[in-house]
Amino acid sequence: MGCEGSPDARFLPPMLRRRCTALSKAMLHVAFEGCPAEERSEVRTVFASRHGENKESFPLFESIAKGQPLSPAKFTHTVHNAQAGLFSIASGNRQASSSLSGERDTFATAFLEALTHLEREPGRSVLVVTGDVAIAPLFAPLLDEREAAYAVALLLAWNGEGTKLGFELASGTKERGSRGPSPDPAWPQALEFVRWLHDEGTPRLELGVGPRTFCWQRA
Amino acid sequence: MREHAPCRLRALGMVNALGALSDEIWQGLLAGDQSRLTWRDDLVPGRSLLVGEVRSPLPEIPSALRRYRCRNNALSLAVLLGLEAELAAVIAEVGRGRVGVVMGTSTSGVSDAEAALCHNAAHGVLAPGFDYPQLEFGGAAGFVAAYLGSEGPVYTLSTACSSGARALASARSLLALGVCDAVVAGATDTLCGLTTNGFCALQAVSDELPNPMSANRKGLTLGEGSAILLVTREEGGIQLEGVGESSEAHHMSAPDPAGGGAENAMREALRDAGLTPADIAYVNLHGTGTPLNDAMESAAVVRVFGEQVPASSTKALVGHTLGAAGAMEAGFCWMMLARASDGQIALLPHAWDGRRDPALARLRLVDKGERARVEGRVHLLTNSFGFGGNNCVLVLGGELPC
Repeated sequence: MGCEGSPDARFLPPMLRRRCTALSKAMLHVAFEGCPAEERSEVRTVFASRHGENKESFPLFESIAKGQPLSPAKFTHTVHNAQAGLFSIASGNRQASSSLSGERDTFATAFLEALTHLEREPGRSVLVVTGDVAIAPLFAPLLDEREAAYAVALLLAWNGEGTKLGFELASGTKERGSRGPSPDPAWPQALEFVRWLHDEGTPRLELGVGPRTFCWQRA
Repeated sequence: MREHAPCRLRALGMVNALGALSDEIWQGLLAGDQSRLTWRDDLVPGRSLLVGEVRSPLPEIPSALRRYRCRNNALSLAVLLGLEAELAAVIAEVGRGRVGVVMGTSTSGVSDAEAALCHNAAHGVLAPGFDYPQLEFGGAAGFVAAYLGSEGPVYTLSTACSSGARALASARSLLALGVCDAVVAGATDTLCGLTTNGFCALQAVSDELPNPMSANRKGLTLGEGSAILLVTREEGGIQLEGVGESSEAHHMSAPDPAGGGAENAMREALRDAGLTPADIAYVNLHGTGTPLNDAMESAAVVRVFGEQVPASSTKALVGHTLGAAGAMEAGFCWMMLARASDGQIALLPHAWDGRRDPALARLRLVDKGERARVEGRVHLLTNSFGFGGNNCVLVLGGELPC
């Protein structure tokens, strides 16, 4: 968390790796770690990042402001679904894939979007990959959340091996103190989720901003 | 076919280069009117660009929501204002907590961020009024939910040119899961320096009138706009009947030339809807007008449907609205169904120079004034093929009159 550098993503073919951003390397690294090789071409995928390639897009915005031409490769690798495209190419995956962003609820809504894929095709696992890196320094003071560089992958299915979780969504005004620890500005949800997943003494996790509460429970 | 919960597309609003009113847009579509495309000199240095710009005045975002104030969200607001009665009714009906919002965008407020950075270059400070929620992708849906006061789940999908179609696919699943009782789903994209310069750098942009499927096609014409639908778990009316999705595992910015991904997504959408190719009365093509898209798409459509299915690209009229296109074109199909009557449906004409490319598979492109005779349920299919090989095909249908 918060450290410099990025995984080397050596499993990527050199041509793909050369153009990869730090975010792409981090998200592809956990995607490959989190999904067994034999399933990589078969899973549906959800790629979620609150900020996406904000930092890498910044020089493009500056080029535009100065009237300079853009590099087509840089443009291609800063779209929000760049990681989805890279994963599909690197793993030969031809299944459905979503890329999303949901403000401070990015992780929780990625989990929900994964459930929509399980709804569409109940028998197929969904790989959820979420991550972020620091945004452009000029924008950072405007952010309502602690910054962290991280990537997390989860492989979800209705049934099978692994940790069994229940998930529900509630709305309405929250009573103060009824939720788990929520430092302000909070860590990105994905990190709170991972912390909870490793803390087996806590049966329930509630995350969410404003009127929305996303609840996970060990089944 | 899987048993589906019903998925009704209860109301539609849109704004694009053809206008902001349903009748105005419909007349433009039927006339194959390319006259609303305009030239802009300020988007790409040294190049005049033909674009589908929204020229109707846009509403001001209320000051309580100023953190979301950007052109992209003003386009969404223009549509929401037209849907106000329908949206208020559904919130009263099911409750705020049961209304979700899923939007698609590929730009969010990039055009405002570009202006903020120009201001920064000149004055050493970001433009006053600029805020991060204008730029982050999540803000596209965040704004809609904040404006409506909805309290169900909110997120923005950004899979390039399939974003808008995907928003409707996710809306259907959120309803089927029981997480929401209504979803406000759609997509908005704004003309900006990033996408115009980016697609020009990829040599994908035409300097002439859009000419999809023609031997003379020179590339795409960019556009902007918003299309938003109210989606509920109700029988009847116009239904989202099928969703087909695929990835291509091929290239970051070019489609698989064989059209395998496009074909898979169309076949999957038909299977999902429980239909055969012969059941489809019209195909709204992705039809960008780039040499590669049109070659692979015509081949894929003919492989799935044969040469007889009426087809057209409406991007020749409003430009390629990128992230918004999938919702926009589903909206055009919605209008066709909503306005069909007496066993007849008006088909949307394909605007082009009429010069067939002998290298392309032979599509039956719709002529101006064509109508199709229909009986019972009518089904239309719309293609969206995104950058990075991300495809989403939708089937809309209904029993006439709907």
